[in-house]
Amino acid sequence: MKVLKNKHVPYVLIIPLLIAFAVLIGYPLFNVLKTSFYKATFLNPSASVFVGFDNYSWLFNFKLYNPNISYFMAAFLKSLLWVGMSVIIKVVIGILAAVMLDSKYLIGRKVYRSLLVIPWAIPWAIAAMMWAWTLNSQFGIANSLLLHLGLVQEPVSFFATTTGAFISTFIIDAWAGMPFMVIMFISGLQNIPEALYEAARLDGANAVKSFFKITLPIMKPVTLTVSLLSMVWTFNSFDVIWVLTQGGPARATETLPIAIYNASFRMLRLGGIGKASAMTIVQVLVVTFIAIFYIRTLKEDTA
Amino acid sequence: MKKFVVLLLVVLLFAGFAFSKETLRVLMPIGGGYTIEDQEAIGEEFEKANPNVSIEMEFVGWDNLWNKIVTSIGSGSAPDIMYIGSRWIPALADLGAILPLTEYISEEKKATYYDSVWETVGYNGDYWGIVRAMSTKAYIYNKDMFAENDLEIPQNWDELHAAAKAIHDPDNGVYGIGLAGKRFVSTVTQFQQYLYANGGNIVNPEGDAIINNENGVGALEFYVELSNYSQPGISEWKREDLVKLFETGKIGMFIDHIHNAKAAEERGINVGIFPIPKGPLGEKPYSTVIVTDCISISSQSKNVELAVEFMNFMTSFDNQKAWDLTLGFVPPMVEEKNLPEFQTPFWKQYVEAIQYGVPEAVNIKDWEGVQEAIVDSLQNVILGNQTAKQAFDTAAYIINLLQK
Repeated sequence: MKVLKNKHVPYVLIIPLLIAFAVLIGYPLFNVLKTSFYKATFLNPSASVFVGFDNYSWLFNFKLYNPNISYFMAAFLKSLLWVGMSVIIKVVIGILAAVMLDSKYLIGRKVYRSLLVIPWAIPWAIAAMMWAWTLNSQFGIANSLLLHLGLVQEPVSFFATTTGAFISTFIIDAWAGMPFMVIMFISGLQNIPEALYEAARLDGANAVKSFFKITLPIMKPVTLTVSLLSMVWTFNSFDVIWVLTQGGPARATETLPIAIYNASFRMLRLGGIGKASAMTIVQVLVVTFIAIFYIRTLKEDTA
Repeated sequence: MKKFVVLLLVVLLFAGFAFSKETLRVLMPIGGGYTIEDQEAIGEEFEKANPNVSIEMEFVGWDNLWNKIVTSIGSGSAPDIMYIGSRWIPALADLGAILPLTEYISEEKKATYYDSVWETVGYNGDYWGIVRAMSTKAYIYNKDMFAENDLEIPQNWDELHAAAKAIHDPDNGVYGIGLAGKRFVSTVTQFQQYLYANGGNIVNPEGDAIINNENGVGALEFYVELSNYSQPGISEWKREDLVKLFETGKIGMFIDHIHNAKAAEERGINVGIFPIPKGPLGEKPYSTVIVTDCISISSQSKNVELAVEFMNFMTSFDNQKAWDLTLGFVPPMVEEKNLPEFQTPFWKQYVEAIQYGVPEAVNIKDWEGVQEAIVDSLQNVILGNQTAKQAFDTAAYIINLLQK
């Protein structure tokens, strides 16, 4: 029996992973890519017709609800803003919360850290339902508090206006994704040598200065990594918006995943899975492009 | 010994065939009054009468029923029988996803139902389902609030408006009327009540959009005017949630099913019911949308004869009567309405509304798309983004694209 040369071993070991990757990611992605060149609907998949790049040109030409912008572009731009806001909140609050929870002066650190995981432990659809009733204008605890504290004169309908729904949904999404960010930031903080802070204190730096001059620069690789992951996940966020607003009111929260869903299931005549697949491929390309940019920045930073 | 083993195997093989059951897969909804227990009981009863048949019921919430149907057809694993909203028939029929059932419906069976009921499952000259549930709607109102404000039952839109205005007391958390505006199917049916009451419709018999005519625009303007006397933020409310406001004494009236009238009464509200009065351009004195759900057979079914048999069993007079009374549906069969159970004051209003009813989605080819366009218009006008005319011109443009 031939013994494998050492240099071949890693390639052999990676084969199961490559097979899993090909079956679980490569094949579905190939199918989506293939479907994006067909006119197809779920209800009659056998009647698919090859249409070349028609579905891709549809993305930029098909105007339905807004005469000034295509259906796809409207959803895409909304997605960029929605994802951007959600990720910014997650990163900013995440890092501040991590610093607080990592502080040795905080009593009951372990209790807070355990509580922190709760949003992550609740299925997102259930969490969204919980928020829908928490923020309900008539029965929600949030409005009850606001009214009792005299902060508002009449109940606030968080999901009834375009701006309110847009902001409320990305804040709730940020809430749901926060535990992951905080946990990652805490693990990053624990790798910073305490001696650096002591030296800074001896040089007269206060806590704020230490945070900006020591913590943030050292945490940059962690920040870039978790914000990349968060960005990818948030780009695919569907449950929260679907449960809370279904993309409304007046399409204010119709981000790309919602638009892809609508094109697949609701726009049987004007959309279909071929067009929805083309939308998906563009989303994959955009997310991949952003990921490459992040990874390059990360490499440059660690080089 | 060898012979004995072979013989035993042959006997076992034949026994296997003899005991193998025919399986019928049935997709049913849950929620909105539909329970798993009620539906499984029908399957079990059929199995008792047909020991060689196994009924496999699959359940899915109403919110996801359409997606489940679409994905199961797409993956080639559609159940034999599917419970569907009749509004979905044209889309499913056009794409060959369900079978026409005209040849399986006897004259006797046909005569059992109102003609308007058959209209809801007809498309391109065929019947595509057998109606299982029918609903009409009426106003459910708080009698005490009406009495406190010396209000009579509204007979037209002016009186309806005046009643909502008189009850409206937002400083004390009381609103004149409950309205729906959330992106959901029932928001469209809620608006359709006003559209039909004003003599309007979504499309004409030729299938062209007419929602942007005087009747449609007038109905939308009235809906938005009423929203001044409704609970705030109607874009976050669907009809199914309005009963919570009614049960807690927060709204004076709202349009809904009989089962929610009963639920509110059980909660101690002094409930009354009145028919939906006509609008200024309406012809009939009252109006209602007739919504039906039906049972259809998938074109992928390998057991069509058995599926038809089960459909007829489910919709036998006794099973239909029990279903309607348990779940609170309006009887779709002519003979049912004479039953003593349907003579109570609550039931009478809903049953009598049938004569003024207009089916929900006749001549509409792609309900889901039309629904999106109408909800969008409604929300845009409520939020002040567009006038009623502008919004419905856009909706009409989209509907005409969908009707091609």
